[in-house]
Amino acid sequence: MYNLLRFFLRYHLFILFLSLEVVCFFLIYRNNKYNQAAYVNVANGISGKVYNTYRSGVDYFYLRRYNDSLALENAFLREQLLDSKFDNRIDTGTLSDSSKRYVQNYTYITARVIRNSVNRATNLIYLDKGKLHGVDKQMGVIAPNGIVGQVITVTDNYAAVMSVLSKDFKVSVKFRKNEYFGNLQWDGINSTSASLQEIPKHVPVQVGDTVVTSGYSQLFPRNVMVGVVNKVKSYPEKTFLEIGVTLTTDFGNLGYVYVTKNLRKRELVQLDSLAGSIKND
Amino acid sequence: MINEIPHNLLRFILLLLAQILIFSNINFSSFINPYVFPLFILLLPFETPRWMLMLAGMLSGLVLDIFLGSMGMHAAACLLVGYMRPFLINIITPKGTDFEISPNIYAQGLPWFISYTGITMLIYLTFYFLVEAATFLNFFLLLLKIILSTAMSVMFMIIFLFLFSARKKRRFA
Repeated sequence: MYNLLRFFLRYHLFILFLSLEVVCFFLIYRNNKYNQAAYVNVANGISGKVYNTYRSGVDYFYLRRYNDSLALENAFLREQLLDSKFDNRIDTGTLSDSSKRYVQNYTYITARVIRNSVNRATNLIYLDKGKLHGVDKQMGVIAPNGIVGQVITVTDNYAAVMSVLSKDFKVSVKFRKNEYFGNLQWDGINSTSASLQEIPKHVPVQVGDTVVTSGYSQLFPRNVMVGVVNKVKSYPEKTFLEIGVTLTTDFGNLGYVYVTKNLRKRELVQLDSLAGSIKND
Repeated sequence: MINEIPHNLLRFILLLLAQILIFSNINFSSFINPYVFPLFILLLPFETPRWMLMLAGMLSGLVLDIFLGSMGMHAAACLLVGYMRPFLINIITPKGTDFEISPNIYAQGLPWFISYTGITMLIYLTFYFLVEAATFLNFFLLLLKIILSTAMSVMFMIIFLFLFSARKKRRFA
């Protein structure tokens, strides 16, 4: 007993140090899994305000750049309008009810980025829109020139987005020129490149091919720009190609983004569970 | 000792704002992540008891974590800094040195401060990046990241020290 007491007295500082480290690691373990990002709830109260104030100051310096990218996007959208297209259809006699032909599948909520980083292993982006504005968990986020990430937590007024630049983020993508699809994952090295996985060796891939979203994940609509292939390597010992992709999103310079809301998500989730139960029978 | 509390509080707020609004916002390259925040622990008075160094380290790290959304990581690293600070000061200070109340760049001199901040940041960033990266086991990239970030951190810390240190009268023996 005396020895035990002496041991504690002698090493009390080291014991304190160890027990505090255990507390820290408990916090790390509990809070840093991306899907449980509960800490954002704590953070949004104070730090959301600080970052919001800071961004509204900094935004003035970027107005020109934001305008440029928005103008570009407007031009692109104008091209998509039916009015700027020539109707080349040959009427084959099927009667199509013009009001029912296209149904809205995705809607977009604009949001301002109030905090952003590109140099961590899991990069989070905070947006100034939250539950009250219709943003919810698991929604995709896109920028004028590419995909940004996925909403992981929302509070009433803010949302936290796990950006593509995160070690846990994966998104289903395909080539624009054909339907071969694979997973895109960040390589953790810099903010402009990612790797495209699970593309079999027989697929003809060239440097310069455009990579777009596949729409399979329901996170993003189909054909949203992702990036351009910058490297293709084939190793005899591997089943899949090694493909590097240059991301088109400028992650260091995000101003305004769009949160994509899939209006038919509930139905798809239902289908998923139905399909799952049939498989299990 | 009592007079040092407002000083340290002010320095804490200044370093926190500098860290979250400037240095964690640079996003220059994923290899260069300067951290000036641990300077708060490094500049606490020499006489601070060790349990207080550890508690101050952990709590200040937690505040930084709340802003950076990395719950626990900086707290763990700052706690480590608080724990090893007395050992480090013992190692790098020549015997028989006359101490001021707090470490001061005009009293201890530039070489002392470069080794003080350099060794601290090397330990801090190695620990932090290892915890953060848990799954990225690309050793050489990690090493490069640690070395570059340490160098930049030390540089910014020294600039900070020259900007905000009180030029005290030097005591000659």
